[in-house]
Amino acid sequence: MSGRGGYLLRKIGWALVTIAVVVIFNFVLFRVLPGDPAKSGLRDPRLNPAAVEALRERFGTDRPLFVDLEGGNLLDSQFTAYLGALSRADLGTSYAFRDQPVSDLIGQAVVNTLWLVLPSQALAILLGSALGLFAAWRRGRPLDVAALTFSLFMWSLPTFFLGIILLVAGANWFGLPTAGRITIAGDFASSWDVIWDVGRHLLLPTLTLTLVLLGEYMLIMRSSVLDVLGEDYILTARAKGLSTYRIIRDHALRNAMLPMVTLIALNLGFTVSGAIQVEAVYSWPGLGALTVDAVGDRDYPVLQGAFLLIALAVVVANLAAELIYGWLDPRVSEG
Amino acid sequence: MTAVLEATAPTFVETPRHPWRSFLRHRMGLLGAVMLAIAVLIALLAPLIAPYDPYANVRVNIGDIYQVPSAQHLLGTDDGGNDVLSSLIHGARVSLIVGFAAAAIALVIGGLVGIVAGYRGGWVGSLLMRITDFFLVIPDLALQIVLVAIIGPSLGTIIFVIGALGWTTTARLVRSQTLTVRERRYVMRARAIGAGDAHILRSHILPAVLPLMLANMVLVISLAILSESTLAFLGLGDPTVISWGQMLNFAFDRGAVSAGAWWALIPPGMAIVWVVLATTLLGTALEDALNPRLKRHHLEASGRDVAIDRTAPMPMPPFEVADAPILRVHDLSIEFEVGGRRLRAVDGVSFDLRRGETLGLVGESGCGKTTTVLGILRLLPPGGQVVGGSVWFDGEDLLGLDGRALRSFRWTRLSLVFQGAMNALNPVHTIGNQIAEAIRLHAPETSKDAAALGAAELLERVGISGRRASEYPHTYSGGMRQRAMIALALACNPDVIVADEPTTALDVMVQAQILELLGGIARDFGMGIILVTHDLGVVAQVCDRVVVMYGGIVAEENDAATLFRSPQHPYTQQLLLSFPDLTHPDRPLRGIPGSPPRLDAMPPGCRFAPRCPHAFDRCVVEPPPDYPAAGGRASCFLLDPAEPRA
Repeated sequence: MSGRGGYLLRKIGWALVTIAVVVIFNFVLFRVLPGDPAKSGLRDPRLNPAAVEALRERFGTDRPLFVDLEGGNLLDSQFTAYLGALSRADLGTSYAFRDQPVSDLIGQAVVNTLWLVLPSQALAILLGSALGLFAAWRRGRPLDVAALTFSLFMWSLPTFFLGIILLVAGANWFGLPTAGRITIAGDFASSWDVIWDVGRHLLLPTLTLTLVLLGEYMLIMRSSVLDVLGEDYILTARAKGLSTYRIIRDHALRNAMLPMVTLIALNLGFTVSGAIQVEAVYSWPGLGALTVDAVGDRDYPVLQGAFLLIALAVVVANLAAELIYGWLDPRVSEG
Repeated sequence: MTAVLEATAPTFVETPRHPWRSFLRHRMGLLGAVMLAIAVLIALLAPLIAPYDPYANVRVNIGDIYQVPSAQHLLGTDDGGNDVLSSLIHGARVSLIVGFAAAAIALVIGGLVGIVAGYRGGWVGSLLMRITDFFLVIPDLALQIVLVAIIGPSLGTIIFVIGALGWTTTARLVRSQTLTVRERRYVMRARAIGAGDAHILRSHILPAVLPLMLANMVLVISLAILSESTLAFLGLGDPTVISWGQMLNFAFDRGAVSAGAWWALIPPGMAIVWVVLATTLLGTALEDALNPRLKRHHLEASGRDVAIDRTAPMPMPPFEVADAPILRVHDLSIEFEVGGRRLRAVDGVSFDLRRGETLGLVGESGCGKTTTVLGILRLLPPGGQVVGGSVWFDGEDLLGLDGRALRSFRWTRLSLVFQGAMNALNPVHTIGNQIAEAIRLHAPETSKDAAALGAAELLERVGISGRRASEYPHTYSGGMRQRAMIALALACNPDVIVADEPTTALDVMVQAQILELLGGIARDFGMGIILVTHDLGVVAQVCDRVVVMYGGIVAEENDAATLFRSPQHPYTQQLLLSFPDLTHPDRPLRGIPGSPPRLDAMPPGCRFAPRCPHAFDRCVVEPPPDYPAAGGRASCFLLDPAEPRA
């Protein structure tokens, strides 16, 4: 395969393979590793064996894992049931919130997480790219040293600890809310009041996540720009008589954005990890907080669903980055 | 790495320095090592230096909880009435054990995967890299949470999970390093004489890969420590041991914020920062020492490349009215600042270029020829400075031009063809756009269409179909790229083109075509050309006059025919003997013994004396001036009429 179409097909194909592996991995992880969900989910000594059996049947864990060799139907296994349910977007029922479908819980959480992650990610990429560009251009000058020191500290500071510090500071000095999405039983006159209230709740978590991501993106952009500015075509551009501003705008920026796009994609795991911690600190009811709560409650269906969704989101976002790369770089047909 | 920076970097920079020494010069790395040593010492001595035993069972009274720091409890007490300082000291043990053990696991897995994938290659290699890619995509923390939650939070589980998920970057690093080593000549040779895989792995691959792996391990330790504290903060720590993340978890969940008990929150957080900072500084410094990266770039130098006092008016050298040169370089000196020392790369170089003339600037690599032309073009790499002399272009003082005047001078009067046009053209713009950019930059009134048309015409002029203007550089062959570069150089119809090794990377047939093209352009457009090259064959083919450089000075200058017929300087003579002569095909070829002088160890007398077969006592103490010889000039005492030995 060659050319742009080939590149596209290869990338989409690889993403599909990865998704398949994630789906199987997610199934195996929760069935093969110690802890029958029905048992570990309901470790109540008062349950009699019949009740446990009934629960196992209800959750389907009495059936064979992959292939049913004894029963009449070969395909009547936990795995086929899991795939069938997945195809109906049915992620099972939560243990902790009795009878709540996992997909409903996760659906609401995803929306909340996006409200936190998208603005932080956009802000961090924008500011990080700009700062990284300046730092690289002014390599070794005070601004560069300050930027490097900042990102070094941001890297060494655990996200949850930065969250705690900002939470204390924000609550004490600015009277900002520190937990949840909205003031519980708040008295709102209009929908503007609701937006204002949610915005105030969102401020500290967004600030924390932005700061954490900012250092990372700045470092990436800095080294990317440094690499590009060392290339011979920058010297050509200077010899042509272009001003520094135009060299950066027309010859450095686009070339530096190429590795940046790839690295942003590779760093999505970092974003997810940051979001989980920020949500835990600020009790922001997103996917991360849901995951952490599910761990505490031993709520395996929720944990499984949340993990599947997080992994799939990252794979899809990665694919998007690859496609953007292919669009930006005329050389992809060679790779 | 870029060709131009490499070519102009003074030779002494390339001398390999021992990694340890450059590490010790790295003050940040030293700081990291000291910080880590302190943490390790505290962890080892924990039971001795902790004022209380945090694992002891004590009865808690309500009054013991969140006590303010005092002489009794230097950092106060926590939610369980325990001494924070003691927990902090014992917490160092957990952090460091998890960090080192998990990093060791990651190192073993990543090292094995990387070496096998890099050394074996084939389907095993690609399968291993696919698996690595898969784990690289899955978000670490989410998978860590799931695994620890399912297996159960014990210290062993945590170490295993962090280690088993943290090997991907190590694997990629080790693989690429193994690939590089595998292709090295001595490894190929070892394999050719029948050395077994085990032998090659043990005595060639491992020694080359291990240092990088250890440097990387220090960084993996910092990641592992961060992961452990995060898991513990999220409630997935081992409940039987005290760790910093867990201290924060308990304090945060049990009202330290509302109690205002900063002493239960800040110290464990800062402890994590301490060890992560220490390992990050140390690891980065180690990687830097083993694998130094290009430190400088092309935009750093602007505005600081001339360090001559320009307040006094420069005396203009006499120009003959009849045959005025378009370019006059007079006594030009250029220095590089390296490691606090100033080293002279070009020392008092003078030459003229007349209109329409093709001048060859010849010499071995490192003799200062590229530095000379970059100095003239005001394009010296950072650290390089013109420290003396003058450059006159058509009566204009080039070294005195300020930013704006310099920019409008560039390309309209003097343009440049680089060596290795592979990297000299921007890969993300079409060839046509790169030429049109130059046209419109210096003639802003040109419409876009007219500029595009002009670009296509220029391409036709150098023998490329105008239709290919809309293609990107990577679709062009090496020779076509060099032609496109020449078309770009012609874009603003300059008076002079500087071509720096324009044919070096090309095969002989293409070389000849490119030279013919350059010669034709000089004739048709009446342009002057400065051809920088180490290849005397190229010079013989196109040049009218030749300047031979050695060790930063002009050794000899003459018209091409005379120079080839009767070379005056011993260096020129030796240089000619080392090139094949088609008129005397049976003459044996001879290389020049020895190598050009290093900038930091210039001979005090004649720079060629150590390699010169005719050198005598005067040559090693006194630098020779220029003597007129055979209608040109040469810098050699053998030409001194007063010298009895000549």
